[in-house]
Amino acid sequence: MNAGELGEVSREMSGAVDPDAGPTIEVLACGRDAAAVWDRATAGARDEHERDCLHCAAAIADARKLDAVVHRMATEPVQPPPSVMDRVMGAVLAELRPHDVLELDSPHGPALLSRPAAAAVLRHVVDGMDGMRARSCRIEQLGPATGDASRAGPVTVAMTVTARFGVDLASVTARVRQMIIAAGAQALGVAVRRVDIEVVDVFESGLDRGGPR
Amino acid sequence: MRATQHADGPGCSTSATPGVLAPVTSDELVHGSAAGAARPRAGLAELDEKTLVVRAQEGDVRAFEALALRHQATLYRVAVRVLGDPTDAEDALQEALLDAWRRINRFRGDSAFSTWMYRVVTNRCLDMLRRRRPAVPMDEVGDLPEPAPAPGRSPERTAELDAGMAALRAALQALPDELRLCWVLRELEGLGYTEISEITGAGETAVRGRIHRARTRLAAAMRPWR
Amino acid sequence: MTGAAAGVRFHVGNAVVARVAAQCAHQVPGVLGLRADLAHALLGLAGSVLGPDLVQPATDGVTATVHGDRAEIALTVVTRIGVNCRDLARAVQQEVAAAVTAYTGLAVVVQVTIAEVRLD
Repeated sequence: MNAGELGEVSREMSGAVDPDAGPTIEVLACGRDAAAVWDRATAGARDEHERDCLHCAAAIADARKLDAVVHRMATEPVQPPPSVMDRVMGAVLAELRPHDVLELDSPHGPALLSRPAAAAVLRHVVDGMDGMRARSCRIEQLGPATGDASRAGPVTVAMTVTARFGVDLASVTARVRQMIIAAGAQALGVAVRRVDIEVVDVFESGLDRGGPR
Repeated sequence: MRATQHADGPGCSTSATPGVLAPVTSDELVHGSAAGAARPRAGLAELDEKTLVVRAQEGDVRAFEALALRHQATLYRVAVRVLGDPTDAEDALQEALLDAWRRINRFRGDSAFSTWMYRVVTNRCLDMLRRRRPAVPMDEVGDLPEPAPAPGRSPERTAELDAGMAALRAALQALPDELRLCWVLRELEGLGYTEISEITGAGETAVRGRIHRARTRLAAAMRPWR
Repeated sequence: MTGAAAGVRFHVGNAVVARVAAQCAHQVPGVLGLRADLAHALLGLAGSVLGPDLVQPATDGVTATVHGDRAEIALTVVTRIGVNCRDLARAVQQEVAAAVTAYTGLAVVVQVTIAEVRLD
């Protein structure tokens, strides 16, 4: 039971019957909806009518008794064996057919780099900067710069980032841009022609998870 | 808050960048920019869900792995309770995670990602139940099972609790699939009616009805266990 | 094809070229493995997930095709951050081509795909 629902329940307590609870599911002899009575009972709430009413009392007793066992079941630790994730990731990797690729410049034949892998490198570099988290990273390759069609073209990078609250966005995005260009040259071996950076969210501090869900 | 910096540069030469910025070292690219500091790089496990989802949608296998690790226990828990069998639950979890990877681009953020993941595993569980046995009409409930005997070697109190749990498990498996599913999401996962409605595709009133019917049937089955 | 080393004529099949290429690629500094190597231990299990048609032996990270006196080789490799991808691809191409040519006498074109860059 999460806090939001408990909040709803306490609001329901102010009125005898909650008009927002929707259509009645099962009418008790006293006129109350058994489903609503049950909801309140499992939330530990009970109004004046329910304290005195025999019909409600029976429903509440059922609810309380069941709830004790249910609570133990709900808190039982249940963990999947690690072999499941191993199988899933094995299948995911085996399924990957790197067709979404960038061309690398090479005089020795076709040289290709998975675009998602290249994006992951650039995000990793930005993640390493204090107060920055990379989110989307889209890399597009342009045609060869000169007339030489055998040379791989430069790329453009469009990245969205989240920044820790309080960092100087102007200087930090300039640094991000510089890091991406450097990573393109040093880590990937591709020329970065253009970098677009958009700050899409801020997060609070250090290792807090950035941004709302 | 949104802010945009549009940086347009002539090419890969770092000399084109403003002189106030220090040159980037290769060590910085690999290990991060906090020179000498103990500050750890934000690991994937620490990233917010939205960031991981966007990355996974762009084909980042490791971001997907982090998401899957974050959600697998929940999905497995649901599968165990809905299917009543750990081996089947492992299969359902595996298929659900692969479904999630293959379809993650269909997640548009209209609901919480966790809601979407619940839906994926729920669909897999219902699939397996349909294949497992011919459809059982909703109102045709089997006889409520006899309470399981308490294991003799346990201390008395524990045995009583274990037997209560065993009885609940048996009664749960005797419920029609749709009732059991809604009940598990509500009572074991603690989800609200609206979210359960989003997950199952049933209307909210139908969801409330199913949960109530499940509750009364389980309560009846549990009466011998006080 | 036929080779003429020491005046002896011999024929080299695809599998031989693939094996030499894979072995050589493993030796290139910065290559952590061929793509399938990392998933190899899991492929049996993955086969039950994907169906056998999706798990072909061809996915073991290298394919080779011999046409006459030429061989085309495609390699899929994994590296790690800190290794320049373009330089790595070039090194793999050069070293694999040299090794295969030295061993078989074939003229070789090597296509390299870097499938993953390990970040840890």
